[in-house]
Amino acid sequence: MKVKKWRSTIKKIGNHANEKENKQEFTSQNSSNHVTDHLALTLKAVKNEIGHNSDVHFREFIIGRTGIQAAIIFVEGLSDKDLIEKHILSSLMADFSKEYQQDQLYVKESLSKQFIKSQVLSISDVEEVHFIKEVTSKVLTGSTALLIDGISPALILGTSKVKTRTIEEPVSEALVRGPRVGFTESLSDNTSLLRGSGDIENLSLVKFQVGKRSKKDLVVAYIKEIVDPELVEEVEKRITKIDLDNVPESGYVEQLIEDNYLSLFPQVQNTERPDRVIAALMEGRVAILLDGTPFALIAPVTFSMMLQSPEDYYERWIPGTFIRFLRYIAVVLSLFTPALYIAFISFHPGMIPTKLAISIIGTKSGVPFPALIEALFMEIAIEILREAGLRLPKPIGPAMGIVGGLIIGEAAVQAGIVSPILVIIVALTAISSFAIPQYSVGISLRILRFIAMLCAAILGLYGVVLFFLFMTSHLVKLKSFGVSYMSPAVPYRLSEWKDLMVRMPLMMMKRRPKMMHTKDSLRKG
Amino acid sequence: MIKGSESEVMINSKDRITTPQTAIVVINFILGTGILTLPRTAAEQVKTPDVWLTVILGGIVTMIAAIIMVKLSRKFPGKTFYQYSKEITGKWLSKLISLLMIGYFLLLGGFHARSLAEVTGYLLLEGTPTWAIIMPFMWISLYLIRGGINPIARLFEIIFPITVILFLLVAFMSIKIFEIDNLRPVLGSGVLPVLKGVKTTALAFTGPEIMLIILAFMKEPHKAGKAALVGITIPIFIYVITVVMVIGALSIDGVVIRTWPTLDLIRSFELTGLIFERFDSLLLVVWIMQMFASFTINHYAASLGLSQLFQKNIHPFMYGLLPVIYLISMIPKNINDVFKLGDVIGNIALVLFGFLPLLLLIISKIKGVKYETNL
Repeated sequence: MKVKKWRSTIKKIGNHANEKENKQEFTSQNSSNHVTDHLALTLKAVKNEIGHNSDVHFREFIIGRTGIQAAIIFVEGLSDKDLIEKHILSSLMADFSKEYQQDQLYVKESLSKQFIKSQVLSISDVEEVHFIKEVTSKVLTGSTALLIDGISPALILGTSKVKTRTIEEPVSEALVRGPRVGFTESLSDNTSLLRGSGDIENLSLVKFQVGKRSKKDLVVAYIKEIVDPELVEEVEKRITKIDLDNVPESGYVEQLIEDNYLSLFPQVQNTERPDRVIAALMEGRVAILLDGTPFALIAPVTFSMMLQSPEDYYERWIPGTFIRFLRYIAVVLSLFTPALYIAFISFHPGMIPTKLAISIIGTKSGVPFPALIEALFMEIAIEILREAGLRLPKPIGPAMGIVGGLIIGEAAVQAGIVSPILVIIVALTAISSFAIPQYSVGISLRILRFIAMLCAAILGLYGVVLFFLFMTSHLVKLKSFGVSYMSPAVPYRLSEWKDLMVRMPLMMMKRRPKMMHTKDSLRKG
Repeated sequence: MIKGSESEVMINSKDRITTPQTAIVVINFILGTGILTLPRTAAEQVKTPDVWLTVILGGIVTMIAAIIMVKLSRKFPGKTFYQYSKEITGKWLSKLISLLMIGYFLLLGGFHARSLAEVTGYLLLEGTPTWAIIMPFMWISLYLIRGGINPIARLFEIIFPITVILFLLVAFMSIKIFEIDNLRPVLGSGVLPVLKGVKTTALAFTGPEIMLIILAFMKEPHKAGKAALVGITIPIFIYVITVVMVIGALSIDGVVIRTWPTLDLIRSFELTGLIFERFDSLLLVVWIMQMFASFTINHYAASLGLSQLFQKNIHPFMYGLLPVIYLISMIPKNINDVFKLGDVIGNIALVLFGFLPLLLLIISKIKGVKYETNL
């Protein structure tokens, strides 16, 4: 990616004038291969540059009875053949003297790139290109190059046609209520989804290129009137720093721009939902969309955002609040239940209610393993089942999870390897971790659960408390793009707790989050 | 914008704490061993059921001391005690006082770590060596304080509501064995016994001295007084509830003979029909968190003191002080020695933070230190 090189000479990226200037600089470095007005030479040069590629088509022809040689170059499959045939070839090969009611000779003499651009080609996107390298790179991204003998700059015609799937419901973030629209792999589709979802004032979409060898478009989206300019600058700075051959998915971008790569917690949110992106933009956040992936990134994020779902806002506020509470409980359960089981069973059986203790010990008496081994066995089994369920073909996947879980649990109890209460606990934690709307957080919690179990096995309840303190210490130190991860929970900002554990009625949430330092703190309307 | 300056020598403008955070630091620093031992230590002195009055009086005495310390610190905006004391007493005397203070924080840190190890070893992890209890605890504290005052304050804000909720839950569960008669008669032996215990209870409130240091980090230093008062009021409530509940259930005579009366109270009843029948695990969870908070502040205050005294980066001091605190925590041979250490620390606190700030305030008033501000 050349952006880095550009950085050295320009102060600000995204400025159109500067970009042009730099393009010239970039191209002049490779000035050995000009597009000349000699068609055969240019064609040879292009063929050399492209090499033997069966999908690149060179079509030579004569322009409308003038005897002038011309050729178009395009890539099969990437370019819209229909468009090429109907609007390029047929108009160029037509009889000009008839078409334009002019003298044959006159046409031949006046045939200039201006004439072709303005009168012949009925195509919206036409660009002049002076260098062979640029010609090839444009052709390889789906444009068609038009070379005419005697005319020196090549004309690049926008004919690219990227195959995209239709817009579908997002798979990873299913909602009961809410728009059934998800991003696709096409960047232009995705930006149009953002633009199209209501006429957003001041929506800025700034384009970047990432990847050195496979150049991919990346768009940074924000709402200029709301966002903190410092944040935009920081995001753009980090994106221009990306220095990789290939950036296949936004996960790469996420990992390259996050604050702390050692942390277990995701510091950038990914989502397939345009409505979620729009909501984040309205709060003064920045979204990053990459070509070729339906997952957009949102930064900065906080821990509380990870436990929120757009549905919280679409439902009425009381169910929204209730569901949010449930999620917080689910987090606690999924993190601590197996750890507490281990701690109480192996260290402090006296602290469990007597009757429960008797029944647990009764069922556990046949189990030959310590609580940790027993719990690890079950937890690992269920994690593997879960992973297997994801990989299996869709119709069998869930069935396999349930059947496998039930059968293994039941068999393990009957074989006396684990106690029945543990099966309940493991099932509870698994269900709880499914209740977390963000997959990336769910997976962090699953890992943390194992750490908690080990702590509990070493130091009992004390170990669990230490684990909690350590995790919390990490969370309060963690930052995402300068915003502290635990805000708005801490530092205390009562006005923003309206949207933390509870979701107050919409008319009471009139302000944007303060931590975002937005230019416009009031939500309009 | 992203990674604040690592050096804590000069106070970074981003590294500021809000007024509620200040109050919560004070609360978390105060609440520590006191929750478990105060009913006994106070009852030993007072010997009448009026202990709760003594607790309130002790709190008020502490408030006065806190106000003096806040007044003193506010004369030197943006500076910690370690930095400004030389402007009052001169270089060498100030270094001596600062070193004494650092020593105090280290001793208190060692005391906290050791009492934690004692209680944990007694109730949760019988037979586990003390080092195995103390060391991971200290490492986590080190991890936290490396981030500076701001993460510390934020962690405290997370711990604080958990503490209050679980504590109140546990306290009101014990209402089952609460007997109002144990608290009667009020002032049966006159006011004198109440006053006798004030020193003991006031020392249970040691903690506002942290204002000498964290006031420099406050976003709104003019609210420091309010923060300190709130920071003491909430512990007063918690202590009064503790004392009333414990003495109400165990009576004065029962309290005096128990090492950890609050824990004994929680262990002495069972409530059926709820998930838990016993609540000592909940109380212990809360208490370990509180000890962690107190310990962290000690560790941080001592490291900050050394770094500001020697004008060096704070991180080496944070690491270097870990073994020192550990060794201090290993000095007491048994639980009685631990309590004796606690008494010694209390007396040091009385001198260092009861009388010294007043003296310094008077001196600075006389010298008319030029740092009068209108914040």
